Amino acid sequence: MAQFLQTLQSANAAYSNVLVSILRYGAPAVAFLLLFRCMASMLTFRREPETWGWLRLENGTRLPVTHWENVIGRSKRSDIVINVPQVAKTHSVLTRYDDGSWSITASDSVKGICINGEVVACAELMSGDVITVGGVNLEFEAISGRLKHKLSQRRTKGSSFGASLFNLLLLTALQVLVCLAFLLNHGQKEPQTVLLAFLGIMAMEWLLLLFYVCIRRTSYEVEIVAFFLCTMGMCAVATVVPAEALKQLLAMGMGLAAFLLVGWSLRNLERAKKIRYIAGVAGILFLLVTLVFGKSYYGAKNWLEIGPFSLQPSELSKVCFAFVGASTMDRLIKKRNLFLFIVYSAVLCGCLALMNDFGTALIFFCAFLIIAFLRSGNIGTIALALSALAFAGVVVLRMAPHALQRFATWRHIWEDPLDAGYQQTQSLMCMTSGGLLGIGAGRGFMKYIFAADSDAVFATLCEEWGLVMGIFLLLAIVGLTLFAVRSAGMGRSSFYTISSCTAAGIILVQVILNVLGMLDVLPLTGVTFPFVSNGGSSMICAWGLLAFIKAADTRQNASFAVRLQKKEVAEDE
Amino acid sequence: MNRIAIRVWGLLLFVAVLLGGFGFFLTEYFTKGSDWVVVSGSPHVYNGENIGCGVVVDRDSTLLVDLNDGREYSNAENLRRATVHWIGDRYGSISAPALSHYAKEMAGFDYFNGIYNYGQTGGVAELTLSAEMQTAALETLGDYKGTVAVFNYKTGEILCAVTTPTYDPDNVPEFSQDDPAYEGLYVNRFVQSAYTPGSIFKIVTVAAALENDPEILNKTFLCKGNMQVGVDEIICDDGAHWEQNLKQAFCNSCNCAFAQIAMDLGAEKLQNFIEKIGIMQPVSFDGINTAKGNFSVIGADPVNVAWSGVGQYLDLVNPCAFLRFVGTVANGGKATEPYLVNRVSVDGNTTFKAAIKASEQLVSAETAAILQEYMMNNVTVKYGAENFPNLIVGAKTGTAEVEGKKPNAMLAGFVSDTDMPLAFLVCVEDAGYGKTVCIPIASKVLDVATKVLK
Repeated sequence: MAQFLQTLQSANAAYSNVLVSILRYGAPAVAFLLLFRCMASMLTFRREPETWGWLRLENGTRLPVTHWENVIGRSKRSDIVINVPQVAKTHSVLTRYDDGSWSITASDSVKGICINGEVVACAELMSGDVITVGGVNLEFEAISGRLKHKLSQRRTKGSSFGASLFNLLLLTALQVLVCLAFLLNHGQKEPQTVLLAFLGIMAMEWLLLLFYVCIRRTSYEVEIVAFFLCTMGMCAVATVVPAEALKQLLAMGMGLAAFLLVGWSLRNLERAKKIRYIAGVAGILFLLVTLVFGKSYYGAKNWLEIGPFSLQPSELSKVCFAFVGASTMDRLIKKRNLFLFIVYSAVLCGCLALMNDFGTALIFFCAFLIIAFLRSGNIGTIALALSALAFAGVVVLRMAPHALQRFATWRHIWEDPLDAGYQQTQSLMCMTSGGLLGIGAGRGFMKYIFAADSDAVFATLCEEWGLVMGIFLLLAIVGLTLFAVRSAGMGRSSFYTISSCTAAGIILVQVILNVLGMLDVLPLTGVTFPFVSNGGSSMICAWGLLAFIKAADTRQNASFAVRLQKKEVAEDE
Repeated sequence: MNRIAIRVWGLLLFVAVLLGGFGFFLTEYFTKGSDWVVVSGSPHVYNGENIGCGVVVDRDSTLLVDLNDGREYSNAENLRRATVHWIGDRYGSISAPALSHYAKEMAGFDYFNGIYNYGQTGGVAELTLSAEMQTAALETLGDYKGTVAVFNYKTGEILCAVTTPTYDPDNVPEFSQDDPAYEGLYVNRFVQSAYTPGSIFKIVTVAAALENDPEILNKTFLCKGNMQVGVDEIICDDGAHWEQNLKQAFCNSCNCAFAQIAMDLGAEKLQNFIEKIGIMQPVSFDGINTAKGNFSVIGADPVNVAWSGVGQYLDLVNPCAFLRFVGTVANGGKATEPYLVNRVSVDGNTTFKAAIKASEQLVSAETAAILQEYMMNNVTVKYGAENFPNLIVGAKTGTAEVEGKKPNAMLAGFVSDTDMPLAFLVCVEDAGYGKTVCIPIASKVLDVATKVLK
């Protein structure tokens, strides 16, 4: 291999220049094709409801039950609308469990539900039970295992294995191109490490596909998008700190493990609900431990050193937070739920403020907003939370001089380009120097700027790979978010939908703060770009969050985090 | 579930923030990006303080410096020394504002490619300077401090502008801050200094008199070697000049006569004239602004008005601005703006080409013609036409008194030749008489100029 590298690096300058010019157009072209294919599939798949049972009216009409959690009520937004004046807007929630059993829970606004003529607050429901809602009798009928299997067979598959294979081939082609670009660069440091790192990513993505084939899952777009972002992240590492390339690869491996672990824990909703409590405690514990034993770097006390390893536990708390925020529908219709969650969020943000880590606090706050809105749908709550933020913001600016400094620099970076505005003005100069297609792998100057592989990673990549590639990075993130939003329509449980949207929201907000902060559109906050920034904790967090998005993807044979129907058939029989 | 499925669309707000914010950035990018790239300190275009891409050549395409890869200067040591104040050094001790001014043109920036195509090599900046004249001027200046400058008063090209002390950027000397030999080492005296002009300022005084006193040509001035003004005394160092007309007084450089002329004109007319010709204002070219001069006689005692008329008192002139005025005289009363960068090209495509810029009439054509004649008369009568073989030269020397040092020797003049329309200025610090010090220097430099231009 050493010989191969030597041949590449000592290649005739004219010859390699031609190759580099081809790579210049080739890399964005392949990236475009790849993203286009993934996004098209993620944003245009047919959203078919799953059917889990029926409610039969006396006239014989069958209302399909299309989720695991179904709100019955008069409101148009209910899942099962009973448009009779006597019925409450939100009457009750019909819930299915992993094992196929059903229950019904009355909302706070009704005294009880009449099941088979008996008024109860909450009851287990069997096929043939009659629910009386506002004088209307509904006979419940759960779907049989055999029929369910038949119906699910008819559902659209996530995406074909062939498409996934082709996408992965494209991604591999992109990785070969970018890796080649680095190896052709004469001044590239540690070419061997860089080559190994890119080969490592390829191995990882192919192994994951192999694993999916083994468990008969075919949909691979979300993962491809994540791997694409990781590949570009590796490009930043290869140019800024090539010696850390393998460390970053290891972080990706750990991230992938977290992805599979979190995904697995979400497969069983009952298990996930239990883990939620553990996650809640862990989320707080991570922060408390950091607060006590943490080390501060650059003003924020958010690092924990354990032997040779250092990590940012607040990143792991984000994954926990996505767990904690999730909740099932039967609990959501009770009002008291949100209060505990508000207290929990306030404690988290308080810890982060004590750690001086306002960037992360802001991310948690945005995640809190998303969760609070999804759970309550109440604009008033959001307004209240926002005013609390404004209040907290004023306090922070008074207490923390470095936060105030950043606000003062905002939109004034060119007034002090050598000091306060240095990082950002250098970023803008370098990005612009790169033009649309970039200056070439390893040829940039961003690498000499502080945090070029984390906070300023977007500028680093734009400089060397072009503004076009930068736009692709953003589109990839937008694609993930829109996918989470679209998947929500066919979500089984609000637990999955809320956690998936929270995860997408956290990723999105981080990108907003990271990119727009460095570009001087927003004040600089110094948070990482998920999947792209160099850093183990951030990588693990990003992949952990991705598992939530994957778990909400209920397309047939799409997600490893969703059980196949066939298995349930076997269980039924 | 439906409710939540609807609420999740709220996430689009964040998507809108991201896309909107980035869209805002893109508009900034495409309107201001070309400026961002060439801000001093932009790492692809600059090397520290100084521009770090492109090649700089003289008017005959002689390489002065290749800015890429840590700057490769010319092979000739004296050429390096003679041009470092224009092209800058490696460490930013001497900046190169004229080159930085054309950074955008040098880098060949465009929005599609950025600086990809040229980032490694950059463009070619062709200066108006002549490497041969620069070297000759530096060599004749020897160990003196000062500046020698020549420019074409028809086009504005600066053919020569040397400043000393200087040093070899390839072989940076070690020196202590108070070593007098290196005093003002980093200063480009042609641009950044302002000298007491001494008698070369009499050119300005004559012009003021010609423009403001219709009777001046009929007047005569009596010089007894000194003149009492109040309690003070004006002295002519070389003794009494007796009765002279204006032309003779100018040729004799008679302080007594010029003291009278200045006092006759009065502070106000003098000041107004100075302001009209703009000789104290900074000259701007290629992103360079020269130092300001000084002339303030309003409210001054008569003796100080008198001393101002002979280029002493508070008078200060920037060499470039004064050279421009000498050019104005030679050019019939209109100033041609000097410039240093003639052309910038990237890959053979011209990205910048200098244009000739002339001012409005600053002094009348008659005044200019008379002054030309007087100055040429000086050369034939006093300085020796044999010093400028084959050239018709008009000039005025000066010996500017500076406190605590030998006088600064000054010389300002022009060549009257349509093929060689050159104005020149020699300022030598701490040197002595203008005639003895400056004339040989001008003689040598103009001799080289003849060869360069033919």
